[in-house]
Amino acid sequence: MQKYVLRFTYKWALRPFLRLFVGVNFDAPEFPPAGEIFIVAANHNSHLDTMTIMASLPRSVLHKVRPVAAADHFGKTKTKEKLVNYFVNTLLIQRKRDKDNPENDPINRMIKAIDDGYSLVLFPEGTRGEPEVRQPLKPGIAHVLRARPHVHYIPAYMSGMGKAMPKDDSLIVPHTSRIVFGKPQLVGQHEIEHIMERIESDFESLKARINPVKKTP
Amino acid sequence: MDKIFRLDFWQKNDLMIVVSLIFAILIFATLLFFVMGLIKSKANLTELKARTRSWWFMSLIFIGATLINSTISYCALALLSFFAFRELYSQLDFRHSDRRAVFWAFLAIPIQYYLAYIGWYGAFIIFIPVVMFLFLPMRLVLKGDTDDIIKSMSLLQWVLMLTVFGISHMAYLLSLPEIPTFESGGRGLLLFLVFLTEINDVMQFTWGKLLGKHKIIPKVSPNKTWEGFIGGILSTTVIGYFLAFLTPLEPLTCALVSFGLAISGFVGDIVMSSVKRDIGVKDLGTSIPGHGGVLDRIDSLAYTAPVFFHLVYYLAY
Repeated sequence: MQKYVLRFTYKWALRPFLRLFVGVNFDAPEFPPAGEIFIVAANHNSHLDTMTIMASLPRSVLHKVRPVAAADHFGKTKTKEKLVNYFVNTLLIQRKRDKDNPENDPINRMIKAIDDGYSLVLFPEGTRGEPEVRQPLKPGIAHVLRARPHVHYIPAYMSGMGKAMPKDDSLIVPHTSRIVFGKPQLVGQHEIEHIMERIESDFESLKARINPVKKTP
Repeated sequence: MDKIFRLDFWQKNDLMIVVSLIFAILIFATLLFFVMGLIKSKANLTELKARTRSWWFMSLIFIGATLINSTISYCALALLSFFAFRELYSQLDFRHSDRRAVFWAFLAIPIQYYLAYIGWYGAFIIFIPVVMFLFLPMRLVLKGDTDDIIKSMSLLQWVLMLTVFGISHMAYLLSLPEIPTFESGGRGLLLFLVFLTEINDVMQFTWGKLLGKHKIIPKVSPNKTWEGFIGGILSTTVIGYFLAFLTPLEPLTCALVSFGLAISGFVGDIVMSSVKRDIGVKDLGTSIPGHGGVLDRIDSLAYTAPVFFHLVYYLAY
């Protein structure tokens, strides 16, 4: 049931809404073959980010994708947690690592979700921060990719959403926005620093694809 | 029922002549580029072909929305304003604290088109130039962020005037009172305005390509020439003379109105060119293949619509 609710919500309700009302230009992304697990890593500016990425996914995998979110923000009340869990299928984690309780450790929980057959959507910046300003990336994603080298990594970059719906404001004001995806790739066999540099440079090159060089003063 | 669905345009010969003319031009252009592609396989026609394809879509949507259903025409034009407004304001780097005022400016779009729909001329003509002009700065001030506030005040009003007030005159054409001797009514006027504006663009482009030598305004638009400008204006005036049956005007008066329309179309075009030059982009969007964004296509309409409307309103109503 949830499978069809999700398909309807993202493909028939949210995608047209994002496209026509908010003004999101969608990309035609490439995904690994069916059955393969992937992690979409994207920059984070707005609540619209998760919606936009989910609306870009092929409909057949929607119910097998879990966006990773912070428990302190989305788990505030039981109703909110239930709603978010049903419509976004989120994986709620805490922001800090937990050495004493391995079951609760964010890295272990992400790895467990992958072992259960779920793909993930991850925002390595950790928080939405100032609208349209990049935050330093956290290495959690690299630990997960290294622990499960068969998992594909797909970079994505968004711009404009932070203006349409910034962090401190829940009013949506339409603003032309864009999402672009990079190619899926396997990076799990490298060092943590190497993977992080790779993600960093992928974000930079996707960003350059979105903002063509403006005139120099 | 009349407001929701009507198919009486089949019986209106005047409208059908122009619709057939539009399809004839489209078919001619499609065949022309197809044959040219066969003969000179090296010629780069991709953009011209993409443009023609987009023209097909735009014409079908426009003809469908205008002729079959007048309520949908108002909605379609309001949507056009919405897309154009969003496209332009997104490029202008508004401040974070302007968001609420921008939201109110968006709300002005349905209100303005509703005023056109109910045909309340007095309110329609003052709503954006007076009401919004006084209201938006107040909303900006209430936010308390005064750095660069003059810039936001002026930009917001200008974007609203250009993309909403100007374009909404097209919708008001449909609300003009009926004149007993003039059969095509508002739909005829709207068809005349859009057809002539687009023909004017195409004619200026074509004459410029064929004869163009002397640049008219090289710093803004290096492709515009005196030859294209004059050729375009003359062709548009002549075509306007022959299409006078779509308007309640005498053919000669109509030719004069077309002359004014041709000049304002050119002005709208170069005004938007200079804006794009300032922002540093070639096109404002990517929504229409071969043309750029919505506003790249309707830049001249933002100027011709109010000019044409007020000339006709003065001369015939």
